Amino acid sequence: MPTTTSVPQPQAAFSYRLEESLWRRGRNVLWIIALAAWAACLFGWATDRYNFLGSYLVHFMFFLTIGWGAMFFVMVQHLTSATWSITLRRLMETIMITVAPVTLLFLPVALGLDVLYKWAAPGFFDPHNPDLAFKRAFFNPPFFLIRAVVYLFVWGVLAFVLYRISVTQDEGNHQESISDARTWSAPGLLVLTITVTMAGVDWVMSLDPFWYSTIFGVYVFSGGALAFIALLILVALALRAAGALGDVITVEHYHDLGKWLFALTVWWAYIAFSQYMLIWYANLPEETAFFHHRAEGSWRYLSLLLVVGHFLLPFLVLLSRAAKRNLTVLGLTAAWILVMHGMDLHWLILPSVHPHGFHLHWLDVATFAGVGSLFGLVFWYRLRSHPMVPVGDLRLAASIAHQNQ
Amino acid sequence: MADLAIRQPLPLETPLIEGQPTYGDISRDVARVVESRPPRFWYIALAVSGTLTLVLLGVLTHLVRTGIGIWGNNQPVGWAWDITNFVFWIGIGHAGTLISAILFLFRQRWRTSINRAAEAMTIFAVMCAGIFPLMHTGRPWRAYWLFPIPNQDLVLWQNFRSPLMWDVFAVSTYFTVSLLFWYVGMIPDLATLRDRATTRIRQLVYGLLSLGWRGSARHWSHYEKAYLLLAGLSTPLVLSVHSIVSFDFAVSILPGWHATIFPPYFVAGAIFSGFAMVITLMIIARRVYRLEHLITMTHMENMCKILLATGTIVGYSYAVEFFTAFFSGNPYERYVFINRVTGPYAWAIWTMFACNVFAPQLFWFRMFRRSIPVMFAVSIIVNVGMWFERFNIIVTSLHRDFLPSSWGHFTPTIYDVLTFAGSVGLFLTLFLLFLRFLPVIAISEVKGVIPSPGGKGGH
Repeated sequence: MPTTTSVPQPQAAFSYRLEESLWRRGRNVLWIIALAAWAACLFGWATDRYNFLGSYLVHFMFFLTIGWGAMFFVMVQHLTSATWSITLRRLMETIMITVAPVTLLFLPVALGLDVLYKWAAPGFFDPHNPDLAFKRAFFNPPFFLIRAVVYLFVWGVLAFVLYRISVTQDEGNHQESISDARTWSAPGLLVLTITVTMAGVDWVMSLDPFWYSTIFGVYVFSGGALAFIALLILVALALRAAGALGDVITVEHYHDLGKWLFALTVWWAYIAFSQYMLIWYANLPEETAFFHHRAEGSWRYLSLLLVVGHFLLPFLVLLSRAAKRNLTVLGLTAAWILVMHGMDLHWLILPSVHPHGFHLHWLDVATFAGVGSLFGLVFWYRLRSHPMVPVGDLRLAASIAHQNQ
Repeated sequence: MADLAIRQPLPLETPLIEGQPTYGDISRDVARVVESRPPRFWYIALAVSGTLTLVLLGVLTHLVRTGIGIWGNNQPVGWAWDITNFVFWIGIGHAGTLISAILFLFRQRWRTSINRAAEAMTIFAVMCAGIFPLMHTGRPWRAYWLFPIPNQDLVLWQNFRSPLMWDVFAVSTYFTVSLLFWYVGMIPDLATLRDRATTRIRQLVYGLLSLGWRGSARHWSHYEKAYLLLAGLSTPLVLSVHSIVSFDFAVSILPGWHATIFPPYFVAGAIFSGFAMVITLMIIARRVYRLEHLITMTHMENMCKILLATGTIVGYSYAVEFFTAFFSGNPYERYVFINRVTGPYAWAIWTMFACNVFAPQLFWFRMFRRSIPVMFAVSIIVNVGMWFERFNIIVTSLHRDFLPSSWGHFTPTIYDVLTFAGSVGLFLTLFLLFLRFLPVIAISEVKGVIPSPGGKGGH
């Protein structure tokens, strides 16, 4: 049993801030990428709107789902009063606050509604078919956009408030911040789950206007939660490599993050399997269409890749305790999982755009860099504005001293 | 154990165990339940539950002699209360596994006061659950046909494509692992009872059951490794058992049954009902045996929070199902859900909503989470609601399917009611016997969450 004297403590002299020169370099790189990528995106929008919007939606969802994951974890940590993760909380929150630019980034989707979504064409749902009355009422551009505004507003408010509460804690009102955070987190989690489910249905599931699956919202959410943990591991490792965090994030924390990565890999697979198996077994044409599209041409290989790469490989690697405590292995697995999350979104979205097969397009790179650089910039500016660990939290020392076993 | 490290109480946390008992106090307080004459309440309760168990035996005897026609099952409602009860009891069992496996891995130290009783409850609930499919076969003496072993009676090979077959494997695995987990966890406490025993019989029985436990460092090291491994093995079982139970319905193409959200939805519902049952039983046990300082208000409040969370997940699933029924544009799917809320069984679904979704919402308020009468009432209401959830899923989907000419209605017979009441009796009888003869609280684990005598953190 370690005593509190033998373990790392928050150091008073250490500011937990990035070195200014390092920060500037990062900012410059991000701005250059952003400008170049958005120029390319604009060119894509002007010349090849169809392909642009497909790729754009994939990468917009890629970063958005990670933001959802961050919000989810921040609130769950508050609600369960988890101690081990306090030292990681500010990084989680800094990823969470990247949800702020989503409001702007949704614009291309809103403007390209009629290109992306088949149902946006007037009269798409047969007006004489009474079975489609609900779809007609639900899927029309005005209502769709109103819903989108509601989701964006809810996420913006949640992320902002949670972030604000945490930052106020740095200034010293510990107890008040904790109880504020809990007050927001419980209803916040409920509202987040509902909006995420609805956004999943609206923005992704409706690409195939007649397909439905009740688990779809949970599927999108679980992929995001997994990708968030993967990104968090990579961010923490990068800051560690830059020597910016001292030793507040120890191998014990990485071990626990590795356990989460493992658990969520299995959870994602469980949800994906539930969806696939039940649809395959019942074999109803209106449901199997979804998997049929994804067995066509080279989409088949992507489907298989997800089984192996999104589940089997990380599952086998992360089973071992040694792997979770080896930062190189953990980092590589996290990076791999992020790639797989991108592939998962390709697999969900692009068969509606390229029905005959999977292919990478130059716009995939441009939109990834475009969306990613904006998320990155928000992250980077926020990272500088406050200490990178919640220095005002009285549980911080206990969190840093956390030990497995 | 893996959660040793965080057992050191943080200055900001309120202590889990009240009254600052010593290790000796805890051993004495828990062993007292087993060693002293049971209170009058125990005898009265056993008389009632024992009578119900005899009723169960009587009904089952009659059922085997006559056939399952004595139940109200009919065409088209071929599954009714029997499968409802099966899913109900299996669900109850889930809290035990969740507490012993998942909360252990999540380092939730408060689990230590309630895990033993919850695990016992799991085992008894699975036993009750097993009765129903077994009896529904009509010829329970041929139950071994369910297992893929050569049988001489006829050339029969099990249908591995049937989820009912998967159930056999899922439930028997679950029972085996839960039993092992329960027993392994109990060994140090059985040794405590052995050491304290004053009669020869007690020494002998607890001595045999404690497998020569001496409490050496080596014993503890092996024990903790075994416990961690069993927790790891049980964790997927928490999800798999009820997922497979949900497959019984979801692999079909019957509207209202075929929904991809069924596996996680069933799991959440199972944990929900299981925790409700733990709350009901613990409120009684802590009061009757004066264990309020070991099973404290903090424990009860935490369980209420889990009830709120899982109840809300269940509510989310109901909402998603209804939304999709309309969204899908499938007229049959839509009809089933309209029929559920307005048809002949509408009263049942509104009972379900009221019990499962609305009642737990009280627990948003700390005042209700810390009120024993409120949580006792809600815990019972929730179990009523969860029973109705299964009834709704099973009966409303079956009684009106695609063809109106084959619609029907289900009315339970007195034998349906008596079989269910009898299974409640069996469950309570087993639980009362458990209280009488085995340590109701994990003595050695609770000792781990109080400050050690030296005053320096956990043990």
